[in-house]
Amino acid sequence: MTRLVYRLVYLSRAALRGLQASPVTSGVASVTLAVALVLVGTFLLVVTNMGLLLERVGRDLAVTAYLEEGLSAEARRDLAQRAAALGGVESVEIVSKEEALRRFGERVGGAALLEGLEENPLPASLEVRLDSEHRSATAVRAVADALAGMPEVEELGSSQQWVEGYARARGLVRGLGFGLGGVLALATLLIVANTIRLTLLARRDELEILSLVGASRTYLRVPFLLEGILQGAAAGAIAVALLFVLFRLAVPALGDGLELFLGWSDPVFLPWGQALLLVGGGAALGCVGAGLALSGERLP
Amino acid sequence: MNRSGAVVAATRGDPLIRLFHVSKSYLAGSYALHDVSLEVAKGQMVFLTGPSGAGKTTLLKLLFAAERPSEGQILVLGRNVGRLRETAIPALRRRIGVVFQDFKLLPRRTVEENVALGLEVLGTPPREVRGRVFGILKRVGLQHRRHHHPTSLSGGEQQRVALARALVNDPAILLADEPTGNLDPELTVEIMDLIASQAVRGTTVLVATHDRALLRRYGKRTLRLEDGRLQEDVPAGALRA
Repeated sequence: MTRLVYRLVYLSRAALRGLQASPVTSGVASVTLAVALVLVGTFLLVVTNMGLLLERVGRDLAVTAYLEEGLSAEARRDLAQRAAALGGVESVEIVSKEEALRRFGERVGGAALLEGLEENPLPASLEVRLDSEHRSATAVRAVADALAGMPEVEELGSSQQWVEGYARARGLVRGLGFGLGGVLALATLLIVANTIRLTLLARRDELEILSLVGASRTYLRVPFLLEGILQGAAAGAIAVALLFVLFRLAVPALGDGLELFLGWSDPVFLPWGQALLLVGGGAALGCVGAGLALSGERLP
Repeated sequence: MNRSGAVVAATRGDPLIRLFHVSKSYLAGSYALHDVSLEVAKGQMVFLTGPSGAGKTTLLKLLFAAERPSEGQILVLGRNVGRLRETAIPALRRRIGVVFQDFKLLPRRTVEENVALGLEVLGTPPREVRGRVFGILKRVGLQHRRHHHPTSLSGGEQQRVALARALVNDPAILLADEPTGNLDPELTVEIMDLIASQAVRGTTVLVATHDRALLRRYGKRTLRLEDGRLQEDVPAGALRA
């Protein structure tokens, strides 16, 4: 066990030596990988913010069931009880015609505007709110379908369609991100692989000597894999830093445009978990690239 | 003189190296080594001589499994080298020290780091590595140069570093391929004395050389190869100057 630890220490030292021996080549590979990761990170950032917006809208998500004219107070209560019994419903509020008019008046800027009305044109309604576990487009649709089946309900209104459309847009952005990320990852994988291959060729003598003194194939390979991982992780860290700087510069500059696109004027940076995911992703790419280089070369 | 193919009896202890009708061919019909049989006992020092292309280097390469025999069997430290799995080769090499004419030192590493390679491969603790490296460098008279890089050393010093690297693991067998080929006569004797002292300590030593003066000076058992065949097996003392 202890010997294994010491071996790892020696191998890590060898990997660092390898990077020091060819700083320019390793640096270029890391920066190229970082650029690719910045692009992937940008998509991640957009998708994260779109997700947060969906979550926020979801919190206010309600289905409004407009009731037929002339329904008695008892019938409304009965209907409200039936609606409350539906799966995923947290609360049901009965909004009378008068209350509806009052709220409308508040919303449009004062009761004075409504003074000319001879009769209240607004219907009574039920405002059905979902519990936290059911604030999704699917759950909203299920509740709306159930309400639509009730004869006393004349019409339904909800932000369901908007939520569905926005969720689709987020899915599209995520898909684009993954697609572009995949292509870029493949390209950068080849760059890392070629960098490691060059290092491998430059250190052929060293490998030969290590092999002579009894180094196993694993012992010969591990420093190169570590180099790939270090290059990739460094690229990930560079990408997160670059992304942060770009985020700080872009958010004030884009201003209203960003709000139009994201529907939110206060976007947030990537959470720690996702930032670490970028670093980890870079490290994984570096490792796979190094593995690719090693698989194509015959070691002494 | 023994005919090619004859098995030479070991003179001291159990044989650590045994070759049975070994041939090595790189091209069909052309042999680098042809039907060679021999034994080398534990602690024995043997010179391998012959003109360039005689098969000396090929024979040494077969012993540390850098090459596989085309025909015949090779037993080194009780292991059949020809049938050794790739994964088992490192374990064999850890018990064999190898020295080359061109030293094969890593120029970017210090003397100490070059010598430590064989110990690091085994996962030896750093404190022990430093102690053992210092000890072996002291034996070859280079402890004061341990922080230098090989490029700042003379040829003789570089070969002493290579020798220290080969011996730091206290190997059972030491193979030296023209170890003095790049050195002047004075340094040649210095290096050969160090190698010969290792045999006295119980290491089996095989030295490939075409330097006849060395053969006479040390008077050790000498195997003469020519065109890949073992032409002569001269016992120790027969060539003493």
